[in-house]
Amino acid sequence: MNEATRETGAQLQLPVIEADTLPKYLQLGMQRWGDRVCMRHKNLGIWQRYTWKEVYEHIRAFTLGLMKLGLRRGETVAMVGDNEPELFWAEYASQAAGAKAVCLYPDMTAQEMQYILGHSDAAFFVGEDQEQIDKILEIRDRVPKIRKAIYWDPRGMWHYQDPFLMQFTEVQQLGRAYEKEEPGLFERSVAEGKGRDIAVLSYTSGTTGLPKGVILTNDYLVDNAFRLIMANRFRPFSMYLSYTSPAWAAEQFFIAAGLMVPVIFNFPEEPETILANIRELGAELLGFGPRQWESLASRVQARMLDAGPIRRLLYNAGMGVGMKMAVERTKGVQAGFFWRLLYPLADWLVLGPLRDNLGLKKTYHATTGGAPTAPDVFLFFHAMGIKLRNGYGSTEMGMYTQHMGDTFDIESVGQWYQSHPDFGPPLEYRTDENGELLVRGGSGFGGYYKSPEASAEMIRDGWFCTGDAVAIKENKNLVFLDRVKDLRRLSSGHPFPPQFIETRLRFSPFIKDAVILGDEKKECVTVLINIDAETVGRWAEKLGIAYTTFPDLSQRPEVYGLIQKEIERVNKVLEGPSRVKRFVNLPKELDPDEAELTRTRKLRRDFLEQRYGGLIQAIYEGKEAFETEVPVKYRDGRTGVVKMNAHINAIA
Amino acid sequence: MTDQMLNSLLKAENVNLSFAKVKALDNVSLELRPGEILSVIGPNGAGKTSLLNCINGFYRPQQGKIYFEGNDISRMSSHKRARMGIGRTFQGIQLFLGMTTLHNIMAGRHIHMKTNFLQGFIYWPWVAREAVEHREVAEEIIDFLEMEAIRDSLVGELGYGLRKRVDLGRALALDPKVLIMDEPMAGMNMEEKEDMARFILDIQEYRKTPIVLVEHDMEVVMDISNRVVVLDWGRVIAEGTPQEVRENPRVINAYLGEE
Repeated sequence: MNEATRETGAQLQLPVIEADTLPKYLQLGMQRWGDRVCMRHKNLGIWQRYTWKEVYEHIRAFTLGLMKLGLRRGETVAMVGDNEPELFWAEYASQAAGAKAVCLYPDMTAQEMQYILGHSDAAFFVGEDQEQIDKILEIRDRVPKIRKAIYWDPRGMWHYQDPFLMQFTEVQQLGRAYEKEEPGLFERSVAEGKGRDIAVLSYTSGTTGLPKGVILTNDYLVDNAFRLIMANRFRPFSMYLSYTSPAWAAEQFFIAAGLMVPVIFNFPEEPETILANIRELGAELLGFGPRQWESLASRVQARMLDAGPIRRLLYNAGMGVGMKMAVERTKGVQAGFFWRLLYPLADWLVLGPLRDNLGLKKTYHATTGGAPTAPDVFLFFHAMGIKLRNGYGSTEMGMYTQHMGDTFDIESVGQWYQSHPDFGPPLEYRTDENGELLVRGGSGFGGYYKSPEASAEMIRDGWFCTGDAVAIKENKNLVFLDRVKDLRRLSSGHPFPPQFIETRLRFSPFIKDAVILGDEKKECVTVLINIDAETVGRWAEKLGIAYTTFPDLSQRPEVYGLIQKEIERVNKVLEGPSRVKRFVNLPKELDPDEAELTRTRKLRRDFLEQRYGGLIQAIYEGKEAFETEVPVKYRDGRTGVVKMNAHINAIA
Repeated sequence: MTDQMLNSLLKAENVNLSFAKVKALDNVSLELRPGEILSVIGPNGAGKTSLLNCINGFYRPQQGKIYFEGNDISRMSSHKRARMGIGRTFQGIQLFLGMTTLHNIMAGRHIHMKTNFLQGFIYWPWVAREAVEHREVAEEIIDFLEMEAIRDSLVGELGYGLRKRVDLGRALALDPKVLIMDEPMAGMNMEEKEDMARFILDIQEYRKTPIVLVEHDMEVVMDISNRVVVLDWGRVIAEGTPQEVRENPRVINAYLGEE
């Protein structure tokens, strides 16, 4: 275990688990911090504030309203909408009533919703607005178990007169009246909650087959909240910006941890105003997907392109200094005394103002997850002084790893979390012979709702099979490779992760596309590279390398050297047999017009392997060059044949 | 004045308008009933915009009268008509390009402000209170027209479709009793048109403001109007529900030409 984990680890100081459900934590929070702010939501141009007492009252009123409408323990409440206080209240309320909460993505179609609503046996539907209500009305006959649909934004709902529908505030009024009839009912209902009760059903995306409803118990939510809390030093009353849909389990962990730290939940005005809102509130905790971080980074870069020459010079100099420090922090390359001396100046002149401009001035905890984030994006934020961290886990078993401490390895997804001993044996992991990650410990896997067979399939000898292929580095950092089912095998039977290698290669600014070759009939991994004409061209110009056309540029020995370095960088993260052994720079660009790529630039593998069959054969025969003729389609529709000359480079 | 006057919020009676020898409006009458969307359609040069200009007081018709809530407003200046509750959006957008969306909408509130320039200069407490009140109205309009993301953007930097929306927002800031819209969808793409149509229907449904709409997009007009008036060469050639107008042979002739 390295320095960082030890100092934040569980051995030193174990937090006390005070309650076993979120509603109980809510109650504790209300008693402790009653008049302090709990939630903020920008509405009508103003950040409206809700204190703990107010939030508690809202949730109590809504819970009692649902109970008055007939919600019983063990039933299900479905909810969908943008992240707004009402969405969170609805979730806490259904848990307080002893019901299961199901969150849906706001952009789901009515048909997608139908399956989940039916499968989860939802009895109530809570939707944001007309858009969501229209969907439920469309499929109403097919989800007969739903007894009421509730909405919180009345806009556009003025002429809906259907006893099936009810406004959020009406339900709360019902609840307040019910409180007078049955004082203390809410508190009794909260007290009845148990750690092993189902709190949330989280549906997996279902890219293969139908979505599966993962059971998240109260224990699971509290356990995961404490994994986060024990690994990080969250400051009480930090400004947290809630943006990711709670339909994704990662947000559920923050919904839970937020009650314990506690954080101030901030909800943006609209999804489109998020960037302005971050800046206004000075977010301290941020969790985004890779795409949002990328768009933030490209926004800065685009703005700087438009800036005047002096500003651009300052920006480049400042970021240059920041980058040296970022490389030191993430790759362990010592920056040296000179850069260390310059850093405060760069920070004062450029990096600080830049963070301020983006609204990240106060951000001390920034995470990304869900998909690989390009190292460039990581470095960009690290150079700016924002320690962007990766988090990794699965809905079934919760959080596994995150980048911890101050220095970390951006190729990896970080180090292992510790789970609190109150929730069971410590988190343990190992990899099997296929490189699949197996996990056990913590609050464990609650199973898939109504599918015991599918649940049982995930468990092997007491270990949960994640289906993820990973590599564990010497420094105990975990590297996520691929889904196991996406792995391919070499003739030796050795599995390797083609998509992982391709993605990592594409992260290089010089590589536009990469086609990994290798299967049961091949003895090693090789790759076809489509260089990025623009960046490689600029690089060549800078070094004074003369070239004429794309085929010429791609076959320059200097360019081969450049690409080889990029491949070696990726090879470092791979274990022996998975490493790329030979590569070719394609002398023509892959082109959707020639059906080599789909319109969204996904590789059409079968077609490529057929078209470049001769070349691929030459690569595996160990030849050094290959000559062929390739049919091409010109812009005006004419077809022709281009003579192709390709070098084949071997990597030692 | 009669009951009928009260029944129609806005009424034009035998309006005649000519520019030199050109007769722009020839004995045009129309009335707007509470809560309805009344569309005025017609080929180019039929006199649609001229009619709107007569209603809100940019043009003075040589003959005929305009009544608003039963009062004859034919002689009244356009800013007085605005104060009475006639709001309008324009074909070519007339906004303050160097100001933000919010400030453009706030500008629309000025007829409701009681404090004057000098008081504003010192920012007395009552001035501050008034500013807050008007800001609230402006924010409700921003929420209503879903303009949160462009609240602080300069209007000059916005695209055409969004500018049209800001223009509508400013007209709504007057709290108009009647809203006059001159080609709100011209130059918009399909999605922007759909948005605008929805906003118009929301205005009718939620704010209950009756609307006079001049629009070229027939599909939209037929979809959202309660009644349609057809002008051709300055004359009313048909009037009725969208269905009636669609089937009227004179309308078909005016649009497709004589056979």
